[in-house]
Amino acid sequence: MSMEVVVFACQQAVPEPDAVKSLWRGGEVRLRVLPEPCSSKMEAFQLLRTLATPVDLVWVIGCEEQLCRYNEGSHRAGGRMAYTKKYLAEIGLEPARVGRSVLTPGDESALAAIIAEISDRVQALGASPLRRAPNTAARRSAK
Amino acid sequence: MVIGEAKPVAEILEMIKDFKKVVVAGCKGCVTVCNAGGEKEVAILASELRIARKAAGNDLETLEYTCERQCDPEYIEPLDDLVKDAEAIVSIACSVGPQYCTARYPFVPVFPGLNTMSIGGALEHGVWKEFCQACGSCIIGDFGGLCPITRCAKQLLNGPCGGSSEGLCEVGKGSIPCIWQLIYDRMKNLGQLHKMQEVKLYKNWSTSRDGGLRTTIREELKQ
Repeated sequence: MSMEVVVFACQQAVPEPDAVKSLWRGGEVRLRVLPEPCSSKMEAFQLLRTLATPVDLVWVIGCEEQLCRYNEGSHRAGGRMAYTKKYLAEIGLEPARVGRSVLTPGDESALAAIIAEISDRVQALGASPLRRAPNTAARRSAK
Repeated sequence: MVIGEAKPVAEILEMIKDFKKVVVAGCKGCVTVCNAGGEKEVAILASELRIARKAAGNDLETLEYTCERQCDPEYIEPLDDLVKDAEAIVSIACSVGPQYCTARYPFVPVFPGLNTMSIGGALEHGVWKEFCQACGSCIIGDFGGLCPITRCAKQLLNGPCGGSSEGLCEVGKGSIPCIWQLIYDRMKNLGQLHKMQEVKLYKNWSTSRDGGLRTTIREELKQ
């Protein structure tokens, strides 16, 4: 079963989104990197909607909080991530299917470590239960 | 404003378990301000419902719309196009909203996605407190602008009671300020402490819920 990871990356933290793809060692797991003006641009409902598509893992990469260009942006993104995990726990989906990392803008080794962490996470979690659900699978095979 | 709080998702899932396509309807009024039923909360709830149902192998389609208000019939009308394709409505307005939806769509099941908690205001981001019980005959002018009906556990008109200690109410284990302490402080600030010696004999409760379902009529506005 093919899997997919979506990464929302702050443009300050990750000025070159293509660099993320070049670091990707996730094998057959598809990676999509979407640049954002700030990690705080991501709202809980956007993370949930992405997971519902379904996607197997959603990740947000932002700047360290004291380095955020928009002062409180990265801090707010952290709060939203926390309550997105609560929403997931409430409906019985693994909270680990969303994640967030922060780094110093331009720190390539930190970025590489984050990408490795994302890869490890998706491999450990496996496919989303939304993909494994019988109704969905049946509908796909019928198409 | 009216303070609302999201119902547990499990409760909503149970309500809509027999339906495949539902409208999730929010409100841009009070419940948007208290982050319980606005556009973002509609998107969050709809996503949660879809994820939970999909994971259970029972797909759900959601249609999302946030009304300007759900407490005026003309603002319910924009739901018409969505509702004609749906089997049920989950309204996350205060409980007025689902009832207006029920009135407009007599053959469509309507469910509340919120619990309506109180009439109140924000103390800080994410914290809302009750300030009014809508008793229908406001007397806070006699109490320095503070409401002993809502904020005194005993609704005393001549307080405080013996349960007030160091400015705190015995109810709430020290977490609730005694409103009668606050009224005393306020009256002192206003130089009106002598007014607290006037005994308030009774309050008119006929305007409250005790008088039955209330209807407010403004003749000059009626058409």
